[in-house]
Amino acid sequence: MEKRQVRNNIRKLRFYNNEMTQEQLAEKVGVTRQTIIAIESSKYSPSLELAFRIALAFDVPLGDVFSYMSENESI
Amino acid sequence: MSYQEKNITVSLASYLLIVGYYLVNLFQMLRGGELVSARLFGLWATVILATIIVNIIASILTNILLTIVEAIKAQKYEEPRFIADERDKVIELKGIRASYIMFSVGVLVSVLAFTFGQPPLVMVSLIIFFAIAAEIIGDISQIYLYRSGF
Repeated sequence: MEKRQVRNNIRKLRFYNNEMTQEQLAEKVGVTRQTIIAIESSKYSPSLELAFRIALAFDVPLGDVFSYMSENESI
Repeated sequence: MSYQEKNITVSLASYLLIVGYYLVNLFQMLRGGELVSARLFGLWATVILATIIVNIIASILTNILLTIVEAIKAQKYEEPRFIADERDKVIELKGIRASYIMFSVGVLVSVLAFTFGQPPLVMVSLIIFFAIAAEIIGDISQIYLYRSGF
């Protein structure tokens, strides 16, 4: 089976939302800043519920925030 | 360093102190050839009670100190926001798993020591040692996961 990884566009989305800080996003979705850092750097894959909360915070569909792509594929 | 990391570090320090105290006393007894049940029971009771009490006190003190430090930093009192989110819970579960593996190995070693002719007092002493060592391994693995950015 092809090896895939959960990638995200959180950094880009924060930039397009008035340079929202990691702390502000963390507060909006109810987690710590460290968790946002871990998700942003693809070291931690969030639960489905948290993924939906992050998408809601940016007011975009889930697919615009997260993608499931092969390791050598770029976003 | 997050609140959880600080809390785990304090817990780790207290477990290290307790295991140090336990080993020093145990080796003194062994060297003096005084592995008598009455003294050993006293040591076990002290260590088990210390593990419970020291951890509770350390946890309360950490909470109070962190609230004070946060208030000083922010120049005003703010409701403490020590939330544990899903990542903290996953890290905690991984720590508990590491603890259980360590404790299982410890129990196996203790039972093997008994099987190969060691007295029951040595077996129970080893089990108590491995119980505290398991907590230490759990704390270390949690700190490692936090530090590695998991």
